Amino acid sequence: MLRRVLSLPSGRLAIGVLVLVAALAVLGPVLAPQDPLATSGTTLAGVSGSHWLGTDNLGRDVLSRLLAGSRVSVLGSVEVALVALVVGAVPGILSVYLGRTIEWLSLRLADTLVALPFLLFAVAVTALLGNGLTQAMVVTGVLVSPLFYRVSRAATLTVARSAYVESAVVAGASIGWVVRRHVWVKVLPPVAVALAQTVGTGFVIVSSLTFLGIGVQPPAPTWGGLLASDLGFLAYQPWAPLAPALLIMATVWACNVLADVVRDVSGEAGRALVAARGSRPPTHPSTPRTSGGVS
Amino acid sequence: MTSSTAVARTGLDLRRHRLLVARARHAGAGILVALARAVAIFVPVFVFATFITFALRSLSGLSPARIQLGENATPEAIARVESQWGLDRPFLVQYGHWFGALLHGDLGTSWVNGADISTLIGLGLGVSLSVATLALVIGVTGGFALGTLAALRQGSWADRAVTGFVTIASVMPAFVVGIVLVTVFAVGLEWFPSAGYAPLRTGVGPWLAHITLPALALSLDVVADVARQLRTSLVAAYRENYVVGAIVRGLGRRRVFWRHALRNAIGPPLAVLGLKFPALVGASVVTEWIFGLQGFGRFANDSAQAGDVPAVQGVLVVSIVLVVTFNLLVNLVLARVTPASQRGV
Repeated sequence: MLRRVLSLPSGRLAIGVLVLVAALAVLGPVLAPQDPLATSGTTLAGVSGSHWLGTDNLGRDVLSRLLAGSRVSVLGSVEVALVALVVGAVPGILSVYLGRTIEWLSLRLADTLVALPFLLFAVAVTALLGNGLTQAMVVTGVLVSPLFYRVSRAATLTVARSAYVESAVVAGASIGWVVRRHVWVKVLPPVAVALAQTVGTGFVIVSSLTFLGIGVQPPAPTWGGLLASDLGFLAYQPWAPLAPALLIMATVWACNVLADVVRDVSGEAGRALVAARGSRPPTHPSTPRTSGGVS
Repeated sequence: MTSSTAVARTGLDLRRHRLLVARARHAGAGILVALARAVAIFVPVFVFATFITFALRSLSGLSPARIQLGENATPEAIARVESQWGLDRPFLVQYGHWFGALLHGDLGTSWVNGADISTLIGLGLGVSLSVATLALVIGVTGGFALGTLAALRQGSWADRAVTGFVTIASVMPAFVVGIVLVTVFAVGLEWFPSAGYAPLRTGVGPWLAHITLPALALSLDVVADVARQLRTSLVAAYRENYVVGAIVRGLGRRRVFWRHALRNAIGPPLAVLGLKFPALVGASVVTEWIFGLQGFGRFANDSAQAGDVPAVQGVLVVSIVLVVTFNLLVNLVLARVTPASQRGV
């Protein structure tokens, strides 16, 4: 799969950007030229040799804060995606096999989670459950998990109804064997697409939460927090939000491109994702995801 | 001769009249069926969502006693306050009581200042709904215009420009758009006020001036998604045999667009609109913070930071009601425009 993704130029570019961002997350705090919390005499300074991206309203080096803050954003978005993967994909596969009651319940629960304005919920729950980014990410992961639920359920349904699986069941194959042997292979590509998308979504959510100052303690640098502090000084430094905003956008863009590329290279699975997201071919006008989904 | 034509005409009119009545009745029944089906889907969603919302208090372990009595209150005093708020009763009894009051529009009172939460939310709702409605209007008109343009001029520079815009817009979080808009149009060009709100009764001009930038910030995402979906489905619709057939029969371009292509292509963008709405409501938390609006997203953020659980629950319930209502509407429109979308739900 990775080789096929890398065979496309857009895939190489997306992977390149993501590797760069991951490297920032790992090495960022080390690479930071100055202490991200140390203040200097010059506040709101412009670009200079000692401060490549200038200083903020307290005289702290912006580049250092950007580098030091990358770890929170990257870790947070990966956490969101992994939680959503586990919470969504496992019930998505099982809902096909565990009887009608569980199927109905899990479908309604997925409908419910989709209907919740997740940023509002993430803000509310994080603030109420204690100001930690991990809690916030777990909650957000649960809230965005319906994507994985639908994608994996749609893929499982197509497999479960196929002739080769039916003949395997007739030949005496157990559910566990069918899932391991046949379902898994079909579920993996659309889940990979969803994973790339969700990392992008997670990035936006982490940035939004840190922008509001939720999930992190004030002096700690984050990309969202950088933007928030820039907001008060736009009259003096109108270009200040550029660097963090571009970083966020480039990362989200790379995630989206990667999702598209993975979808393209895994043909049939991509179609399962398209079907699960409610945009079927126009001969069957689409139904909104909130109304029952793929059933 | 003349009388026989008259008779024939009345006969024809009668038949046409009957046909119209039958068609109207059919459409009415269709709407009713769609409504019943939508309600059957949304009632469990609403109950589930309120249950999750209510469970937040137990999960958070927060108590009004902490807020009212401070950190070093005696266990007896805490117990007294908690029983005043009815928190010593079994969980399901509390939920039943809260849900019953909620159906009457009573969201309880704030832990922080004892004010009625419905009233507090009502104060901010006008701001948020103004912004959200304008954002939807911009999103729908902009999205439809761009999507149609790109689909009808497929492969042209206009199509490429729209695709480029959609790509950029879909990676810009609402708060980044908001900051850019404030920087350019409020701080730089000073065309709009950078913060605050003016109610509609102070005049349409000031009202629009205050909500335009936040609505633009919220709508960009909607514009991008609607445009992308509409382009895809319009392009696909124009490849269908019935559209080719309509063109071959010599029907005008406009008629083919409105009656054949658009009507069949409108399903996916409408469905996307229903899905986007929760995100629109959620993003209001951030945009209201940027634009200094005392709306309902701001209220949610402030209450959550203060640990005022009933207030947060109230906001969440209101947001759920908004989302569910909006999706009901979208479903009804879908049922009217593309009856086939109601099959196989």
